[in-house]
Amino acid sequence: MSYVKELAATRELLANLTIREVKGQYRRTFLGQLWSLINPLATMLVYTLVFLFLLRFEPPPGDPSGVEGYPLWLMCAMLPWTFFTRVVNGGLTSVVSNANLIKKVYFPRMHLPLAVMASTAVTWSLELSVLAIVLMLFGAMPIPFIPVIIVFMALLALFAVGLAMMLAILNVHFRDTQHFTGIVLQMWMFLTPIIYPLEFVERRAEQVGQWVLDLYRLNPMERFVAVFRNLLYDNRLPAWDDSIYCLAAALIVFLLGYLTFSRNEKRLAELL
Amino acid sequence: MTEPAVIVDHVSKRFKLYKERNQTLKSAVMRRRKSVADEFWAVKDVSFEVPKGSTFGLIGRNGSGKSTLLKCLARILHPDEGSITMNGKAASLLEVGSGFHPELTGRENIYLNGSILGLAKKDITARLDEIIDFSGVGQFIDQPVKNYSSGMYVRLGFSVAIHVKPDILVVDEVLAVGDGAFKKKSREKFREFTNSGRTVILVTHSLAQVREMCDQVAWLNKGELQAVGPAKTVTKQYQEYLDAQDG
Repeated sequence: MSYVKELAATRELLANLTIREVKGQYRRTFLGQLWSLINPLATMLVYTLVFLFLLRFEPPPGDPSGVEGYPLWLMCAMLPWTFFTRVVNGGLTSVVSNANLIKKVYFPRMHLPLAVMASTAVTWSLELSVLAIVLMLFGAMPIPFIPVIIVFMALLALFAVGLAMMLAILNVHFRDTQHFTGIVLQMWMFLTPIIYPLEFVERRAEQVGQWVLDLYRLNPMERFVAVFRNLLYDNRLPAWDDSIYCLAAALIVFLLGYLTFSRNEKRLAELL
Repeated sequence: MTEPAVIVDHVSKRFKLYKERNQTLKSAVMRRRKSVADEFWAVKDVSFEVPKGSTFGLIGRNGSGKSTLLKCLARILHPDEGSITMNGKAASLLEVGSGFHPELTGRENIYLNGSILGLAKKDITARLDEIIDFSGVGQFIDQPVKNYSSGMYVRLGFSVAIHVKPDILVVDEVLAVGDGAFKKKSREKFREFTNSGRTVILVTHSLAQVREMCDQVAWLNKGELQAVGPAKTVTKQYQEYLDAQDG
C-alpha cells in the first residue's frame, strides 16, 4: 500500500509527464492536434471503401437511435480499439524509451505507463467528442449516456494500462516483446468484431458449432466494443453480462499489471 | 549529538556480469532461460552516518564503488543487503537536465524537471523567477530547449535542481558545469544550502574540491569502506595511498 501512497504523493509528476506527452507529440507539425483526428478519419475511409463498396455490407440501424451508416457504426468501435492499441504500444515501450531518466533520477516508475495512458485518453476524449457531435447530426442522442461512457472509458483504460505494464516489464528483459506485440495486436483486431459485425461469427458458429462463438467471445475486447457500440451507436445501456465481463477483465488485468510492475520496478535501473 | 541525516547500514550491492545475457527470446529458449553470469560486489558491507547539515564527500579511485553507492543513496539502485535510512526529503542530481523534453520550452521544462525531482507546482511557481534568474538563460526561457547551447542546458538543469531545496541533496560531480562565474555562483549556493541545516552528499574526483567543501569524507576502495571521518584526515590518508600507488 505504501507504493500507492507514493504514487498519490507524486501525482503532479504524472500530470506533468502527461503534458509532456501531449504537448511534445505534435510540436512542430503544421496541423498540430488535428493529426489525432486525421488518423482515425483515414482509417475510416479505408475500411468504408472496402466494406461499403466492395463487400456491400450495411450494418443494421442503431436500436433505438435509428442511426445508419457504416462509417459511424465502424468508428464507434474503432476509436476504443485504437485507444487500446496506442496505450499498449506506448505503455510497453515507455520504460525502455525513458531509460535515461530511470538511470538518473528516482521517481515511481509506474508514472511512465500511466502518463502514456493519460495522454492517450486526452486524445481519445477529443476523438469521441467529435464522433458524438457527428452522431448527433445524424440523429443519435448519446448525451444522456455520457456518465456511463466515462465509466467504460475508465475500465478500458485500466485494462489497457494493466496489459501495458506487464508487457513493459517483459520488454525490459526481452526486446522481442515490442515487435511481437505489434503482430498480436493486428491479429487481435481482426478477431474482434470492429470492422465486421458479430453476426458474421454467429452465422458461422451455427454451421461449425457453438464452441466457436464461445471461444470467440472470451476476448474482453469483444465485450468492450459491444458496450461502446451500444452506448454510442444504439443509444442504449449495455447488456449486464457484457458490463460485468468488462469490469472483471479490467480489474483483474490492471491488478496483475500493477503487481508485476511494482515488484519489478526497483531493479529497472540496473536491467536497462 | 543530533539525529544523523543519513544512516548507511551494512550496505552491499551486487551486480551480475553477464557473459551471455538472454536479451532476446531466442537465446532464452535456446539456453533454457539460464543466463551465464558472474557475480561482482560493487559495494561490500559499507556502514557510516552522515551528520545533519554537513557536506559529506565520497572519494575513491575509478571502480571503487562510490558511484554505485551514490546511486543507492539516490534510490536509483536498491542495495542487495543492508539498508539506507534517510531522515528527511531527499533529491538527487546525478545528471543535469535529464528528463528535459527538447521540444518543450525552458519554462515548461522547469515544471517538468521540478516535478521529477519532487517539487510541487506551487513551489515551482514561487521559485520560478529565482530559477530563471540563477540559470542566466534570460530571454531564451520561452524557447524550446533543443535550441539551447549546451552551457545553457546544464545551467538551467542545475538551477532547477538546486532550487528544489530538499533536506538531503545527493550530487555527482555536477559542480563542474558552466563557466567560472557560474561555478562560483553554484558554490555559494551550496554553502547557503548547508548553512540552512541541509545535508549534501557528493562524489568527486577533485581532492581540492573535497578539502574546500566537505566536512566529512568516506573513502571507498574496491567496494569496501577504507576510512571515514573528518575531511582533513581522510583526504590526507587517501593522498598518501595515491602517492604510494603511483610511486
